[in-house]
Amino acid sequence: MSDNVLETNGLTVTFGGLNANDSVNLAVPKGSFVGLIGPNGAGKTTFIDAITGYVPMSAGSATFDGQDIGELKPHERAQAGLVRTFQSLELFEDLTVRDNLLVAAYPTKWYSFILDMLHLTPTDHEVEERVNWALDIMGLNNEADAMPTDLSHGRRKLVGVARALAAQPKLILLDEPAAGLDTAESQILGGHLREFLDHDMSVFLIDHDMGLVLSVCDYIYVLDFGQIIAEGTPAEIRDNPSVKAAYLGEQAGEIQAQAGEAQRMSTAKDGEVTS
Amino acid sequence: MIDLPVVLAANLLQNVIFGLIAGLAAGAVFAILGVGLVVAFRGSGVINFAHGAIAAYTAYTFDQLREPGGGNIYLPWIDPIPELGILKTLHINNLPVSIQIQENPSTVLAVVLSLLMAALIGLMLHFLVFRPLRNAPTLGKVIGSVGAFLYLQSVAVLNFGASNRNDPGFWEFTSDADKKPPLENFLGLGSNLPRSTIALAVTAVIVGAIVWAFFNYSRFGLATRAADENEKGAALLGYSPQLLAGANWIISATLAGVAGLVFLHRTQPSQFILLVVPALGAALMGNLNSIIGATIGGLTIGAVASAGVSLTNESWWPTDALPADGIRQFVPLLAIILVLYLRGDKLPIRGSISIGRQPRAPATNNATLGMVVAVTTVLIMSNIFTSSWESALTTTLIFVLFMQSLTVLVGYLGQISLAQWSLAGVASWMVARLAADGTAVRELDFFVKDGPGLPIPIAMLGAIVAAVVIGLLVGLPALRIRGVQLAVVTLAAVVAIEDLLLRNVWLFGEGADTTNPMPVPTIGDSSLSGFNPESNQTDNWKYTMFLLIMVAFVGFLVVNLRRGAIGRRFLAVRANERAAAAAGIDVAQTKMLGFGISSAIAGLAGVMFSFKLSQLTSENFSPFVGLALLAFVYLGGITTLFGAIAGGLLVAGGLSAEFGALHFEGVTQAIINLIGAIGLIVNAIVTGGEGIALLQTDQGKHVLSGLRRDPSIAPEDGPLTISQEELAGTEGATV
Ligand SMILES: Nc1ncnc2c1ncn2[C@@H]1O[C@H](COP(=O)(O)OP(=O)(O)O)[C@@H](O)[C@H]1O
Ligand SMILES: [Mg+2]
Repeated sequence: MSDNVLETNGLTVTFGGLNANDSVNLAVPKGSFVGLIGPNGAGKTTFIDAITGYVPMSAGSATFDGQDIGELKPHERAQAGLVRTFQSLELFEDLTVRDNLLVAAYPTKWYSFILDMLHLTPTDHEVEERVNWALDIMGLNNEADAMPTDLSHGRRKLVGVARALAAQPKLILLDEPAAGLDTAESQILGGHLREFLDHDMSVFLIDHDMGLVLSVCDYIYVLDFGQIIAEGTPAEIRDNPSVKAAYLGEQAGEIQAQAGEAQRMSTAKDGEVTS
Repeated sequence: MIDLPVVLAANLLQNVIFGLIAGLAAGAVFAILGVGLVVAFRGSGVINFAHGAIAAYTAYTFDQLREPGGGNIYLPWIDPIPELGILKTLHINNLPVSIQIQENPSTVLAVVLSLLMAALIGLMLHFLVFRPLRNAPTLGKVIGSVGAFLYLQSVAVLNFGASNRNDPGFWEFTSDADKKPPLENFLGLGSNLPRSTIALAVTAVIVGAIVWAFFNYSRFGLATRAADENEKGAALLGYSPQLLAGANWIISATLAGVAGLVFLHRTQPSQFILLVVPALGAALMGNLNSIIGATIGGLTIGAVASAGVSLTNESWWPTDALPADGIRQFVPLLAIILVLYLRGDKLPIRGSISIGRQPRAPATNNATLGMVVAVTTVLIMSNIFTSSWESALTTTLIFVLFMQSLTVLVGYLGQISLAQWSLAGVASWMVARLAADGTAVRELDFFVKDGPGLPIPIAMLGAIVAAVVIGLLVGLPALRIRGVQLAVVTLAAVVAIEDLLLRNVWLFGEGADTTNPMPVPTIGDSSLSGFNPESNQTDNWKYTMFLLIMVAFVGFLVVNLRRGAIGRRFLAVRANERAAAAAGIDVAQTKMLGFGISSAIAGLAGVMFSFKLSQLTSENFSPFVGLALLAFVYLGGITTLFGAIAGGLLVAGGLSAEFGALHFEGVTQAIINLIGAIGLIVNAIVTGGEGIALLQTDQGKHVLSGLRRDPSIAPEDGPLTISQEELAGTEGATV
């Protein structure tokens, strides 16, 4: 029990009669890498929204680090170490990349504004180091002083991940971090994902890229129409007939994924993609 | 024995019921105005703060046409070439302003011309303000709307003068409703009801029904509603979206004109300007898209406010603490807050419309040089200047100080509040009250004020605390209400603060709104007051130094705030509240902190301002002054200290105005405000609201040359944006 960093019990989210999440039981053991897959509209983002407090749970409960988090506000959950990224970017557009990370990394006290205004706040080297590490691991060192709007879509997604890392999470929730990345960016991300585990954190990953999920996760849940229809190790999921049935076979899926990828890249290059 | 309370209660009930009915007159105007706001919003997605000003201009036009010696119309602009020197003798006018029609035109002609004027203003708003802003971020639209408000208000003052106009109005010619005696003992409720009350209520219902039917059954109405959902929808019905928007502006403005005409017999034309507040309440009760809802909402707000006011006539009512006017203004505020608060979310929901690009807010990492230059300049000026120049210098300093409260709240934190100047007012009142001890401040003072007689530094502190408390209250709705809607709430708060607090006899003693003798701060024996009773001028060098220290100190604080962790958090909240919460930021607390800091600065500015005067009146803090200040700080640059300095130089009474007065005759406050209003609109269109201060930066130059490619400034067809959710959708089930 207590070696699960996150645990949900019968978690249900209802939007106007429709169960976007239906009695989801899911656990993320401490120090592990857990994946959640499912077709579009299955309710994956809703699941993250629910455990981070962005949408109310209609039923069920969620425990984080041994504590029931049902009553906590979103920022309190983040402060407790449950940190998410967004599928739709949601960066701070008026802050540089480094400042985006610093926002999440710097703890503040109620009196911080007084020290700040008098310019008496000492630099916190530990925080600065953590920010540098997060920039480094996402390959953003050269873009640290750029504005997010000047970066490609893929780079911006990496900033989103780096910002979550900078917050020193106990559990990082990644919502389709690889969607919209080009091959090089995908490799940066994929190559470093498991490294996160070395920094005292567990990882929860949602992604469309089946190859990525199968290769990095210790354990995978499959969501369809809001319900968990399968769970298991990557090998078990690969061979699970109901998963295959739900997704018309892995092959078809992968072909589609590649087609989607190609389209995404061409759109992203036009620089017109905004979210 | 038992009968007396029963009789009293029955009496009270009668009064309240009568109050509700009598309030339908004002409610009718709110309803018609509210319907017009809904039409404009549906047509172009803009909340038009200038809507009441259109009604005012129409009412003025009608009155001017029928005025003895009038019979002319003033077009809604002024001749931009000042009449000076040789131009004056040559009478060169390059823009016609006044058109003589005929003495004593017929009612029909006067009505038609007035409504045409309203329609013309609607067209101007469309072509000159809101069409260019159609793809601008929320902020741009809000300040464009505030700019239009200030523009029309200033032009009305310049063309029609500031004096009162008593017009018997429209009914005199039509139904003779008000010439006939009122309906005595109406429905046996014991009071007399003017006949026009019923006529007004019926008019509002008819107008609402006609507009509703028009939009529901005509092709044009269908196309507008289709365009509301999807611009292509309108195109399918054969209308260009921009044509629709323009036509809706004409309808909306004409409706404002109708409201101005039907209510003219009860009020001053200038009073219509602020009726936009209850009208906004009405429109919001209709969810900004229901005409029936706005009509009912307007009538309800009018009725409830009037019933509230009728309570103030009861003997037990604490009129001193809760004056009738305050109640009247408080009801619309409450309606607005309730509607918006209940509908708002603590965090914006996923995929809700983004607020768009915000003006950049670069950190000033090395402000020392700039500060030294600015302070030295002021030191030199204060040694050279005397009398009116020194007064202009202190005015500029006061407003630089004040504008920094907006830098923090609007610039850093992105909370568009129109109420900060009213908070400065609260602090001014408070310092006068707290420092007063029942004796005359100056030998020749006519008025004395009672009070605890606190030492001035403590009174100042108390005043700032009062501003913070009220500021936090005004800020509370911001926890759920954002963007333009917050601007609406704070505008309503401005009106309510003026009538509920600044005129509050219980809080501030007799003559609260007209005479507040200001205390004199001293060091040793010398006065730090800006008002010099010997010369009857405001030219005290020590006061200038006192101010300079305050301005520089606050400048130091505000610049540092932006550089630190809290400043980053402010900008994070401004950019994206959802993401801010995910970064562990308590959005509610951060907003309250911003409102608190900003209100403290505004309070200090109010206190310093009041030391400049011998007596304070509520006119110093009228809503128009507050909006003009907001206009100028936007023009200067809302996000930086140098923007605040630029803004402070531009304000009426400030240094550039003094300079202008030296060279051009007749540069009045109205003209300065007019220039500010135009500058504000141009600023919104050209830079998206970034202001002068940022134009010197590289990116700013980009903006100037119009080369900046920005997704929010998109071609005619609207922004071409593909959200990630949509992108993901195209991939289908790819797992
Ligand atoms: N705030 C909301 N209100 C109503 N329905 C929603 C909301 N958020 C998500 N949904 C619906 O819930 C379902 C699951 O959506 P989502 O969690 O985004 O799926 P996924 O992330 O797996 O693609 C979808 O049908 C979506 O339309
Ligand atoms: Mg999703």
